[in-house]
Amino acid sequence: MAEVQQNGGGGKGKNHQKKMQIRVDFTPMVDMNMLLITFFMLCTTMIKSQTLSIALPSNEKVDNVENMSQASADDAVTIILDAKRKTGSFDVDTVNGKVVPVVYYYFGKPGGDAGIGSNPEQIAANNNLQESEFLTNDEKSGKARGIREIIQQRNKEVLTEVNKLKEKYASGGFGSLETADGREKAQAAYDEAASKVRKDENLKKPVIIIKSTPQASYGSLVQVLDEMQINSISKYQIDNMTKVDSVMVIDYQNRHHK
Amino acid sequence: MGRVKIAKKSTFIDMTAMSDVTVLLLTFFMLTSTFLSKEPTQVITPPSVSPEKVQETNYVQVLVSPEGKVWLSMNNDTSKNWSNEKMRMALLDKVSEIYNESHKNKISFTPEQKYAFSKLGTFGVPLTQMGEFLNLASQQEGQTAMDKWLDGSDGNPSHTTGIPVNWNQNDQTPNEFQMWMKAMRQTDNDNLASAIKDGSGVAIKADQNTSFEIIHMIMDNLQTIHMNKFTLLTALKGAEE
Repeated sequence: MAEVQQNGGGGKGKNHQKKMQIRVDFTPMVDMNMLLITFFMLCTTMIKSQTLSIALPSNEKVDNVENMSQASADDAVTIILDAKRKTGSFDVDTVNGKVVPVVYYYFGKPGGDAGIGSNPEQIAANNNLQESEFLTNDEKSGKARGIREIIQQRNKEVLTEVNKLKEKYASGGFGSLETADGREKAQAAYDEAASKVRKDENLKKPVIIIKSTPQASYGSLVQVLDEMQINSISKYQIDNMTKVDSVMVIDYQNRHHK
Repeated sequence: MGRVKIAKKSTFIDMTAMSDVTVLLLTFFMLTSTFLSKEPTQVITPPSVSPEKVQETNYVQVLVSPEGKVWLSMNNDTSKNWSNEKMRMALLDKVSEIYNESHKNKISFTPEQKYAFSKLGTFGVPLTQMGEFLNLASQQEGQTAMDKWLDGSDGNPSHTTGIPVNWNQNDQTPNEFQMWMKAMRQTDNDNLASAIKDGSGVAIKADQNTSFEIIHMIMDNLQTIHMNKFTLLTALKGAEE
């Protein structure tokens, strides 16, 4: 390929020119290219970051109580994120330099309908805080575990509908999945239907309030927001810990992690 | 004894085809590459299942280190002559204007300092030290000195890195982080301004082990200046349903 053959004259006695063969050695060229490729490969980012959009409520104080968005006690699920503490103290315990997330949750009002009370015995008796953890689906049975199972139980009605839509999508109910164009259209139709189901007023769905202690890690916040997405939760918000929440967390830790 | 004659064969391997392939690969990498920008701290973003991709241009990145230091960077699209350099210069003007409204010790920057600022990818030193920081750019080895200042490894205790975010609710004057974000919001680049408004233009990049206390402070700052919508940068996690 990299040879040029020159055939001069072709055996014409006197004017016979010597056959010339010009060969260009491309090996150094390849070497240099490889180096350049290596440089570009190491210096580029191929994976683009994902993003998670969140919207926080306004910081301003609402004067009129009627204007406040209220969740009924039946629907409200409060999730409190925390970090694993060292036994017997409130210091954060890390494993391999990583903070281990701990999740607490309670349904309805803190301390039940009667309220938490003020003396330690009352607090201990009324504390409706429960502990859970972040777990993925069970590998064998595909069953949800940990906090996901709890969220799924509360959001059963919506999830049943969404799963029906998923089956419909898989069987081609939203349009053929054979071509890329068709898949896109079917996906769009599915997304629209699913978002309608998530916001359907007739279905019973929980309102999840996410709170976090200062020691919890940012990773666990993203994890819990992920769970919202996985479990098709339409109403959730990030809120600040109240005094009662802190009292319950401290009481729980005092009783269970001594 | 008869000798076996071994025919002499040339060992020349033709590298032309190989060269063709490598040049093609090289072209591909050169065209698709976006260079990693140097950041003052390395963070590992938490994994998430969110399918949304980060915007390529028109966003403001808030980089948060696990210790609670904050740096900013601004990415403009260049569609309407809004080059990053030009927008950054305007940003510095804007932020010093906002700063001077509420502080007695006025700050101002020379054209050289503004030019130096326009070349910065990620920035974040307190405004009172910004002048001194930008003066480094004209010195020899200035870039290295600036990088060292930013990542806090220059060993000079009077050099502070990170934009001040501390703030108490009763204080009416905004802190410097809020000033920067306000200045970003007032940018002439309409696309960036609208992206900031709908939340896709503000991206928080933080390490997964950062405590919620620090993230909460950033969120609180953003809420105070009515930026209630923003995005969190995450890494891809295998899809689970």
